[in-house]
Amino acid sequence: MVDRSTLTRRALLGAAGAAGVAGTVAAWPRLTGADIPGRGEDALTILILGTAQDAAGRQVIADAFMEEHPDIAVRIQSVQATDWGDFFAKILTMVASGTQPDIVYTATEGAQLFAERLALPLDDYLQRDAEEIRDYFEDVHPSLIEAFMYKGSLYQLPLDFNAANMYLNLDVLERNGLEMPGEDWSRDDFSELLRGMQGDATPYYWTNRLFGGIVPWLYVNDTSFLTEEKARGGEQFWSTFYPGEERSGGYLWTGSNATAEPVHESFEYLRSLVADGLAVRPEEGGGNTLVGLFASGRIGTTPAGGYWVQGLAEGGMRPEQYDVQFFPRWRSQRHQFGAAGYAVMKTTRKADQAWEWIKYTASKEAMQLAFPTPSTTPTRRSMVNDALYAGVGPEHWSRFYDTLDRFPTSGPIPAPPQQAAVETALIRNVSTALSGGAAGVERSLQNLDRDLRAVFAEEDS
Amino acid sequence: MIRRLKNPTTLATYAVLLVAAALTLGPVWWTFTTSLRPAAESFSLPPSFFPLDPDFSSYAAVFEQIRVPLLVLNSGLVTLLIAGGQMITAAMAGYVFARMEFRGKNALFAIVLSTMMVPAQVTIVPVFMLIRGMGLSDTLLALIIPAIPTAFGTFLMRQYFLGLPLELGEAAAIDGASPWRTFFSIYAPLALPGMAIVGVLAFNFHWNEFFRPLIFMISEENYTLPLGLVTLQGNLGTGSISIVLAGVILSMIPAVVVFLFGQRYLREGLTAGASK
Amino acid sequence: MRTDRRSRLMTWLFLAPTMIGVGIFVVVPIVGSLLLAFFRWDIITSPRFVGLANFTELATDRTVGISFLNTAVFVAVAVLAQLCIAMLLAVLVQSKMPSWMRVFFRSTFFFPLVLSAASVSILMKYLFNESYGVINWALSLVGIPAVPWLTSPQWAMVVVIAVYVWQNFGFSFLLFVGGLSAIPGDVYEAGAIDGATGWRRFRHLTLPLVSPTVLVASVMAIITALQVFDQPYVLTRGGPGDSTRTVVMVIYESAFRQLEFGRASAIGLVLMLLIMLVTAAQFRLARRFVFYQ
Repeated sequence: MVDRSTLTRRALLGAAGAAGVAGTVAAWPRLTGADIPGRGEDALTILILGTAQDAAGRQVIADAFMEEHPDIAVRIQSVQATDWGDFFAKILTMVASGTQPDIVYTATEGAQLFAERLALPLDDYLQRDAEEIRDYFEDVHPSLIEAFMYKGSLYQLPLDFNAANMYLNLDVLERNGLEMPGEDWSRDDFSELLRGMQGDATPYYWTNRLFGGIVPWLYVNDTSFLTEEKARGGEQFWSTFYPGEERSGGYLWTGSNATAEPVHESFEYLRSLVADGLAVRPEEGGGNTLVGLFASGRIGTTPAGGYWVQGLAEGGMRPEQYDVQFFPRWRSQRHQFGAAGYAVMKTTRKADQAWEWIKYTASKEAMQLAFPTPSTTPTRRSMVNDALYAGVGPEHWSRFYDTLDRFPTSGPIPAPPQQAAVETALIRNVSTALSGGAAGVERSLQNLDRDLRAVFAEEDS
Repeated sequence: MIRRLKNPTTLATYAVLLVAAALTLGPVWWTFTTSLRPAAESFSLPPSFFPLDPDFSSYAAVFEQIRVPLLVLNSGLVTLLIAGGQMITAAMAGYVFARMEFRGKNALFAIVLSTMMVPAQVTIVPVFMLIRGMGLSDTLLALIIPAIPTAFGTFLMRQYFLGLPLELGEAAAIDGASPWRTFFSIYAPLALPGMAIVGVLAFNFHWNEFFRPLIFMISEENYTLPLGLVTLQGNLGTGSISIVLAGVILSMIPAVVVFLFGQRYLREGLTAGASK
Repeated sequence: MRTDRRSRLMTWLFLAPTMIGVGIFVVVPIVGSLLLAFFRWDIITSPRFVGLANFTELATDRTVGISFLNTAVFVAVAVLAQLCIAMLLAVLVQSKMPSWMRVFFRSTFFFPLVLSAASVSILMKYLFNESYGVINWALSLVGIPAVPWLTSPQWAMVVVIAVYVWQNFGFSFLLFVGGLSAIPGDVYEAGAIDGATGWRRFRHLTLPLVSPTVLVASVMAIITALQVFDQPYVLTRGGPGDSTRTVVMVIYESAFRQLEFGRASAIGLVLMLLIMLVTAAQFRLARRFVFYQ
């Protein structure tokens, strides 16, 4: 009954089974994640958004830190995500699965989400070590600090920031015989500039997201899609570190402002740019081809911050091929910015060690290790200098930091604790507003208003 | 051949088929040729459909940007273990459903079959909780273990065993062979082609799987290939199409290998599920 | 007697991995989902019982409504296109031709199936780009102005459907080829005597004979299409607006971006119910239209 072929098949089965078992045993550390460096060790875990390469880049800071604090073991872990919202979702998933880190490097987009639900306030530590940390605050613009205040407490020390400035492609300008505009240019000057761009370059390219999307155009029009108030509190902090500075206990975004007339104006302006072929319809979750397109002279203008300098240089763009200008003036010339810093997780059992990390990374020494190239703008004014931009930066790189001084009311990305839902509502309705006629703007703003009301109502219930 | 082409119907048939084939292969061919263009030219139009001057720097860039060997190892481990596990468990359960008599057989089989209708997205949250409870969060095992029990595979294997001659087992039983022996010495070796179908199907599905890894894998060390690719697209500062497409081509290689060598099993598996 | 006991032992031992696995990873989660749907839960704080609130909110939630509508449109158009294209090509491939050509065409149409939807969506995203995509470039050759494929609500769904169908028609194609090649030749010979050729032959002879295959193919196509996620996630993220947001995307976003697990479960249960209803309806319809030999 049992012929040769069944015999060989049986041998095959046995061999495959043995190989499978052996392979599984050999791969066991990989399967259980036990081979991930530092997993299961009792180290201070710091999570960043980025690739393993980025984590390796930060290792120099960790090494320097451990040299100063030999008793604190530090592990840097990276998580990849397509945007900040994606990153926060991953962190919440980590909390849910019990693998949360001690410290997270997070941005304005998540500042209030963290403050409300995840992060530890730094107030007591700041008062305790006020003298040690004073030189940091002396070097950092108060607008950036205020963005990380929430209901009178400070949760993060911002280390890098980016204001939404306007990048102009000088090749495109030259091709069309156009002049680089002045610092005081208006929205109409901007429209005129775009109209002067002929040929195959897109005059204005933008992406649909919280930073650099519709919001800069709302801010320069002295409005926002959310109501903006300031919380009380923080007096002790401000008087300790910024005496004489009139600042608040943080921003409060608690309602919809989508049906305000100036909001409508800003939306309508962008819609008309799209309709007239002067701007692209914004892509969602995009932006990854932007550098290539800008560097190859296919984009005339686009909003971006100092973080772009390094990318453009790597993309083969020479400093004299582009320049940066403030956002054009409308009702005001208020700018939008985003910033980021380390937040300590409420759940950590190593709060004191975490504070040491925060203090160390805010020192000039550590920040110079962290930002060797202009791939973002350091929050310490003294570091935004010739040395950083020599050979790679545009002529007017000083505008990256000057934005804050020239327009002291410049505000952060509007991101209440319900950031994910707010962002979704905004992005969704921006794209519908731009794809129809003028009547579509009105309808989309009403929808945005309703969506936002729902978001804020849910929180109250 | 030529004479047949003169027939307008035949001519139309070939025309439609050729256009369809071009539309099917065109995008993949374009991906391949564009991945061989230098990064700076990747936006240029017209597209180049023939890599006259191939440039492999984008492939090197992929290896710099993402840890390709690690991604391949992860994807490989996950898919092979799922495929292996499914082949074994499905063969065992399928055999029982095909050849053994016991009370509640039909009811159990109906339950197994009906779970095929439940979309993975419905159960993902509780599965996530289970994984956490088992302490398997953010490990490859979280992808593997829940994917091994397979209703579809069990169904396929049952059909396969039903198709094998009953007499072999009966003869063995008369010779005094135990039910274990009957299975291991007679039916299991004969069922290898059926198990191969289950394995190839599982490999194809899980190699390309995106939804569960997206949710379950947090550490970059645990990423699988499709996940790595999508983030390659997002993280890319230089925004070169060539590099992303080089990554896409790399990820296709194992699938194409399976296609070339396992096509028959895939085809049989996919159609066997349909012809009950 | 001994054999009996051994058989019984073997039966349960062999069933155990699959039955326990299916129990833990499918049946328990379904029950869990059912329970979760009555709670509000964000993982971090403890769950709160809210009764039917998650379900009643679905009824008034605009995004959820649109996502079901989008999914319905997607399923209807994509499945119809997939089945028609697959049937046409299957019939053509079965016509007289050298066998190497048949093998070539058959393999070609089947090929996209082995690729990952994520990879395919990435490459298609570039092909459909408004300003530098190959598709708009090709259209410009014949004088058609650039189409905002992925950035306008009208076109985005068309692209998502096209990309999905491109990748999935091969599955229905395989089923149809199988069904067609099972038709005995003498049926056609008899038909030819009656003068049935071309469309008439297809409509009155071929189609009824492959109708069981059509049923199976459509059931499978619909179940798969109802769960579409990868393509809209990579191509458009559900946008512009809500124009390509599908039910599964809303489940994903509710659960893993907004941490509303109860809501996500409720939507999931509605989707599951829908799948079962559609499948049942199809089998009912089949009783009238499917012809078994």
